[in-house]
Parts: sequence; structure tokens; C-alpha cells
Amino acid sequence: MHAAALATEPVTRAIRQRTDYYAVVTRGLTKRFGKRLAVDGLDLVIPAGSISGFVGQNGAGKTTTIRMLLGLIRPTAGRGTVLGHPLGRSRAYLPRVGALIEGPTFYPALSGRENMIVLARLSGIENRRVDAALERVGLGARGLDPFRTYSLGMRQRLGIAAALLPGPELLVLDEPTNGLDPQGIAEIRAMLRSFADEGMTVFVSSHLLSEIQQICEHLVVIETGRLLFQGGVEELLAARAPELIVRTENPNHAKRLLQLVTGTGRSARIVGDNQSTILEVLADCSWAGDLNRLAMENGITLVHLAERRSTLEEAFFEITRSSAKQAIQGSDPACAAGGSDGGTKAWSEKAGRP
Amino acid sequence: MIWRSFESEWVKLRRRRLWYGSYIAITGVVLLTTIVTIAGALHHADDRGDLTLAQLAHATGLSQGLMQSGVLLGAVSFSIAAFQFGGEFSHGTLRNLLVRQPRRSVLMTGKCLAVLTFLVGAVLVATMVGLCAAFAMAHLRSVPTGAWTSGVGMGDLGIVLGDLAISTCGFAIIGMIAGVLLRSSVIAIAAGLAVLLPVETIITDAVPGAARWLPAQLLEAIAQGGSTGASFRAALITMSAYLAGAVVIAMFVFVRRDVTA
Repeated sequence: MHAAALATEPVTRAIRQRTDYYAVVTRGLTKRFGKRLAVDGLDLVIPAGSISGFVGQNGAGKTTTIRMLLGLIRPTAGRGTVLGHPLGRSRAYLPRVGALIEGPTFYPALSGRENMIVLARLSGIENRRVDAALERVGLGARGLDPFRTYSLGMRQRLGIAAALLPGPELLVLDEPTNGLDPQGIAEIRAMLRSFADEGMTVFVSSHLLSEIQQICEHLVVIETGRLLFQGGVEELLAARAPELIVRTENPNHAKRLLQLVTGTGRSARIVGDNQSTILEVLADCSWAGDLNRLAMENGITLVHLAERRSTLEEAFFEITRSSAKQAIQGSDPACAAGGSDGGTKAWSEKAGRP
Repeated sequence: MIWRSFESEWVKLRRRRLWYGSYIAITGVVLLTTIVTIAGALHHADDRGDLTLAQLAHATGLSQGLMQSGVLLGAVSFSIAAFQFGGEFSHGTLRNLLVRQPRRSVLMTGKCLAVLTFLVGAVLVATMVGLCAAFAMAHLRSVPTGAWTSGVGMGDLGIVLGDLAISTCGFAIIGMIAGVLLRSSVIAIAAGLAVLLPVETIITDAVPGAARWLPAQLLEAIAQGGSTGASFRAALITMSAYLAGAVVIAMFVFVRRDVTA
């Protein structure tokens, strides 16, 4: 089967099912290992057909959550559905789910293709789909080489190929870019985009927040097993107060401009030491003209004036540093999935800059 | 479903290194015991009742070497099975398998059957080589082999081969259970071999009648068609009960336990 043919199945299914349903919904999902609470009452909602990012620090409970979704770990409490089936009935939905969990693990002595065949046989998948999946991730030429000879990037690709085997509607990828070089990361990013274009729901956990920001439409942030945010990535970034970055000719101008700006009632600060020429002004780009005028009228020459877009990394650190770590979503899954003013408002109040 | 799991496991078992390694090890054990048994046969009976050349010339002489290989074959089979099961946890490959086959009991049953057929195949191949060695050794020691190829001789060989296959499977099932419960091939093999070989031997020597209850002793008795410690029938019944109980426990643990590897 050609790689393109492999891709058509999920598209067809996804179109058929692209109604208002969520690929994953959990309610109060909890996992306790002895005294340690790994996941604490997680209310997760992953919209179908989206690329959703799953971020959190090491030990935040991402992998445990993913394992619960895949039926590898039994939740201590809570319930949920994956592709419309209850969590406890993983055999009903796993044939439509592809997963790469905690890095690619395969049999070192077997070739990439043989490793794939081991998994394909289990699901009754034909060998031609194995070849198509290998082609899809660019491993067609190296499929017969032993897995132990693969580079880290090739291993990750093989893991993704294995996840693609069933022609999944939901693709769960746990740290797919771990250890990859920039080129490898860019390739995986392009690959994930193409999967989403074909109609798959992609749920990807990663430490690389810049990557998540580039490819994800929807975001879930957890810490110590608790939900901190879920909603649209743009929503999260827009909730942060916009900033103008200004550079003056000399430090004295910077100090003078700071006084002028604060005099208008806006927040501003000099970035760096006493000799710095850079100001951060809490204002959106619509005030850039006023700022420039204010500087000119006072004999201050600006050598740089630009709007600074927030990064997901900044938003993430703010949200995780926040001492109030309660979930900021409403109880309605539809609200929690994004598009909810409640969620966004709560974020801007709790994590937005003063 | 079980067939798919069986087929999947065989993709791994077919790999050249494992195949050659296992078959050579098992064949080596049978060859060694056959050669040592026939080479060590006495010209005249002694007080200890050791095998004599006259006894070797009987119809049952062909299978004498094979019968002695039970424990060593068992140790090899145990190790291979423990490696195949414990390795899934050690390598972290179990999670991939369970995503593709969430019915854990089906996965385990299929894997188990695949490993058992692999080992029984190895015993058959080893037996063929062992028989050739037996004829060669008989020629060297001038033992007449006419009775070996008689109907009685062939029948006895079939029975011994069957007993050996049962014994091998018993050791392999213990290995699989150790792999599943200990979740590490290295620990399972080390702990299992320590218990089955030296520890059991010491207990057998120290405690009269212990051979009737200890797994490796029972499996050895099965391989030999009965021993001084336990009759074949008693060993088979006791061992079947042990294995049934252990399989139920292992299956329960495997199905219920979280997969964190």
C-alpha cells in the first residue's frame, strides 16, 4: 500500500465522525502510587481533529495520564472516554489509537521492519501497511537494518511509524522529539502537521514548549498531577498583557522615558542594569505611535520599537510558578476545551502580569 | 486472537541469533549427556547400579542418554522462557504490545504457546542429533544396536521423548511465570536457576522425601519416567497442580498489574 493510501483511512473515518465530539474526555481522573498522588482529579478534554499539546514539568503526571488513557494503568478514581468508549474498555478504542509512549522501545536485535511486524501481527495488520508506515516516516530504505543500529532520530521515527500502523484516529505521542537535533525536530513537526491535516487527532506531550507553540492549537498544562490550564494556545498567549520593547540611544534617555511612560499611568520597567537602554512597556501595538510621539516630543530618540509577542515558555513558567495551582476551567467540558471566556479570563486574572 | 499473539511472538523467536543460540545450547546438552552416558557405561555391573554396556544393548538403550538430559535441558528452557517474558518488561516493549493487544490474557497465552512450540522443536532437533551421536558412540564402544531400532526400542524412544518434552515445557512455564512476576529477565533467570538447581538439590539431600514436592525434582522425575524420589504418575499430577496454580496467579497478576515499565 502506498503511503498516501495509508493516510486515507483515518481521513474517511474522521470526516464521518467529525461531529461535536471530543477524542478524549476525563472526569476526576486520579492515580495514586502508594502515598504518592501522580494524577489528581484531572478533567481533560481533547477536541477531535486538533493537535493538542500536553505540557508539564518532569514528574507532572503526563506519562501516567497517557498510560491511563491507553489502558496500561488503572485509574485509582475518575472516569473518562476515549473515542467515545469508556476508559475501562480500552480494547474497544485501542484499535483506532496509535501511541508512542515514553520513547521508542523495540527489540534491539530485530530490524525496524521486523519490530513493526511483531506489532502488526498482534492487530492482524498486513505487512503492506508496515511498509507504507515505514515509507511515511522516511525509514523505507533502512527498514531492514537492526534497530540497535538506528540513530535516536530514526528510533523516534520508527516509534511514530508503529503508532501509525492501525491507521489511527487518535495519535498519542509522548515526547516524540526527545533527544532530536533541530533538523529532526523540524521533520517531526512537519509530520505531525500532516497527520492533523489528514484528520487525525494528535495528542503530543513535549518539553519543547517552542515546538508545542508552533504546532499545537490546543494545550493542556499540568503540574503535580493537577490541571493548570487547558484551552487554545492563542487564547493562553493572548491572555498575557502585550508588551512594547523600546531601545533608546543612551541609558539616560531610557530613564527619562520610563518616567514619562509611568506618568501616563502605564506600567514600564528598564530591562537589565543601570546602564541599560531597553524598556519594557505594558501596552499593545496600538499605543506604539503615542509612545514614539511622546519620546520625540521630549527629545528622546528611539532606535528600536517593536511589539513583543509572548512565548508559550513564558506563559508556562508563569502558570507553573503561580502559587494558586487550582484548575482554571469550568466544569463544562465544552468550556474547558477552549472558546470559553471563563477559562481565559481566569488565566489572565491569575497568571497575567500585574 | 491467540493465534495473532502466537504469530507475533514467532517473529521474535525466528531471529537468527536466538534460534541458533537456543537450538545449539539444547542440542549441546543432549549431545553431552548422550556421549557421557554411553562413554561412561561399565563393562560389568557394580554395586551402585550404574549403566552397563549390556544394559545399553537393550531396546531401551537408545534413550538412556536422552533421559539424563532432563535437568540441564530444563535449565536452558527455563532461561529462554524467562528471557522472552522478563525481557518485555526490561526492554519496555510490553507497553507497545499491550497497546496493540489489550487483552492481556490473550497476549500471554499466545506468547506462551509460541515459546513452548519453539522449545519442543528444539528438543526434537536435539533428539535427532543425540540419536546420531548415540549410534556413533555405540559403534565406538562396540554396543550392538539391533534392539534399538526394534518396535520396542522405537516405542520407548517415543515415550522418553514425550516425557522430555513435558519436562521441558514444565521448566519453560516456570521460567515464563518467573519473568512475569519478577519483571526482569536477569533477575528471573538468576533467581530461578539458583532455586531450581542448587537450592533444591541441597533441600533434597537434607530433607528426606522432599523430591516428591520440589518442582525441579518432579520435572526431572517426569523426564526420566519416574525416579527414586517420585513416581512418574505422582510427579506428573503434583507438577500439573503446581503449574496450574502458578499460571492462574501469574495470569491474574499480569492482567491486573499496572504496566509502568
